[in-house]
Amino acid sequence: MTRLHALVLAGLAVLSVSCGPKEKVVKIAVAVPLTGDMGTEGQGLRRAVELAVEEANAAKRFPHRLVAEPFDDRADPKEAVNVANLIISDPRIIAVVGHYNSGCAIPAAKVYARAPVAMISPAATNPEVTAQQLSSDWSGPRMAFRVVQTDDVQGSYAAEFAFKRLGKRRVSLLHDKTPYGQGLAEQFKKVFLRLGGGIVTEDGVAVGDKDFKALLTKIKGGGSGSEGIYFGGLYTEAGLLLKQMRELGMKDPFVFISGDGAKTSGLFDVAGDAADGAYLSIVGVPVEDLPSAKTFMEAYKKRWTGAGEELKPFDHFGYEASRIVFAAMEKGATDRAKMIEELRKTDFTGVLGLTRFDEKGDTLNKIVTMTRAKAKDRTFDSLR
Amino acid sequence: MHFEQHFQQIVNGLTLGAIYSLIALGYTLVYGILAMINFAHSEVLMLGSFAALGLAVFAPTFFGASPLGLAALFAVSMAVAGLVNVLVERFAYRPLRTISRLAPLISAIGVSIVLQNAVFLWISTQALSFPQPGVSGQVSIFGASISALQLVILGAALGLMALLHFFVEHTKMGKAMRACADDFATAGLMGIDANKVIAITFFVGGALGGAAGVLYGMNYGSIKYNLGFLPGTKAFTAAVLGGIGNIRGAVLGGFILGFLEVLASGYIPDGAQWRDVIAFTVLIVVLLVRPSGLLGEKTAEKV
Repeated sequence: MTRLHALVLAGLAVLSVSCGPKEKVVKIAVAVPLTGDMGTEGQGLRRAVELAVEEANAAKRFPHRLVAEPFDDRADPKEAVNVANLIISDPRIIAVVGHYNSGCAIPAAKVYARAPVAMISPAATNPEVTAQQLSSDWSGPRMAFRVVQTDDVQGSYAAEFAFKRLGKRRVSLLHDKTPYGQGLAEQFKKVFLRLGGGIVTEDGVAVGDKDFKALLTKIKGGGSGSEGIYFGGLYTEAGLLLKQMRELGMKDPFVFISGDGAKTSGLFDVAGDAADGAYLSIVGVPVEDLPSAKTFMEAYKKRWTGAGEELKPFDHFGYEASRIVFAAMEKGATDRAKMIEELRKTDFTGVLGLTRFDEKGDTLNKIVTMTRAKAKDRTFDSLR
Repeated sequence: MHFEQHFQQIVNGLTLGAIYSLIALGYTLVYGILAMINFAHSEVLMLGSFAALGLAVFAPTFFGASPLGLAALFAVSMAVAGLVNVLVERFAYRPLRTISRLAPLISAIGVSIVLQNAVFLWISTQALSFPQPGVSGQVSIFGASISALQLVILGAALGLMALLHFFVEHTKMGKAMRACADDFATAGLMGIDANKVIAITFFVGGALGGAAGVLYGMNYGSIKYNLGFLPGTKAFTAAVLGGIGNIRGAVLGGFILGFLEVLASGYIPDGAQWRDVIAFTVLIVVLLVRPSGLLGEKTAEKV
């Protein structure tokens, strides 16, 4: 090798170092609705995952840099599939934290199974999200996990609460025809009937509908005397239902019970004072009541201080999901396949307490809490 | 179910119908004169409700619970919505009027998208809560307790329809409008300033849409950038059902649609999810029997 050659080579080597990727990057996809009606909830999850990633980077837990890359599924199943295809085509993405809606998580999981890449949902509660992996036509490994409890747990709990705690015997059932809403309502019905209660009416409404007065008038006038409504759906419809119920004079002791999809500050924007007294179940324990989440809450409040950047109901699940991924990485999950393997063996103690997954990928940590809306303070008080 | 329930359902149908009718009038007035469908009308409605919200937020003392404050709120929102509609006509429709029938239609869809996204990007992507007009609770009528808010909405809508009737039938400008609707070219030859009549028609239609927007906000308690789409589509349907271009037809169509929806979700078991299917099936059947709508006149093709 001549001197000139050596010089050129040395120069090239310097060039390639300075121009090429400075450091290795490993990405975690955050696939949630970032715009639209559920955008506020998704943005909260994005902030929670970013916080977890920033903490891990600051602590230099990994030889490479971690990046949380947000993807907007707009709470739309079609968009969720598009986003999932984008995600699997980026080899630097090692795992997905998402999706928020069950309707999105179910079809998206099918795409992730093809890659395969692990998906941990911080919010999707329909049993199908993980149960579909047991069906015979499931192609690919079981890669769907979730850190939230399923609707069967939540719906059953609400039914027992209505029957035993509130002493209700006849309830009207409403749902928004989505996998989430209908799933909750069906589980409520199953348990409520088993306990000996009766379902007076059962109706589906469309997401986006505004006028429920005719339907509510029917429920109010039902000859067999309904004592309350159980609604499976999200906060916009729940808020409109509450507002129109109160206008029609359907007040205490007539109760309104719904699930975690309605338990968000948005409910107060839609319903105003009419939200007062509504019962809303949530999966897990409200983050405010979790001693293990104190550090997380403080860190979150310090990192995110802007307008509308307050803690959202599912943020601690998003944070926990990210940290479960990091724990798996520390145990040697350096690629997508190993990640799925490691996640199955998860035994992680964090914000939510102990998380382990059953053979479907559902968390074994099953707690549901009932809360009651207080419109004056825009808060939800846990009932013990 | 007893009397009280039926009576409440009638009020439900009337309130829903009244809002549809008010919006349908905006479509039908414009169609009557220009034979064009103003697809931006649903956004004019939305802007009316946002104007009211803005007023309520920035001048809360002015917009109190007093009837006077309420009337002022309506007046300002209607003026804003009417003005927006006039500007849309001036800049997006008038230059295209003579080119083809299709061009203003596409332009209208464009305006609709622009207005909706302007509010989405500049004001809010989320639902904003709409201040309540200080009427709440129930009033007792014929022994049935009825939502007071619904009665206010119904009263306001019927009052505006009466005003429109007076304007069209008993004023000079109303006469000019009818003349233009009857025969645009001849009306021009008779010395009617067609552009002025068109601008006024757009103002009146937009103002009614703006009022409907305020009523909508009051009725549902929250407003959003895309709120105009659904009631706009329904009201357009109502206008076609009644016979588009015909003022009484728009009112009739609005109330029929309102009652159909109440009938479906209030009386048919599990009917809430079939509401739109039922309403639109009736529409198709009516149009098959009477293609020009219930009160529409059969007109020869305009050449």
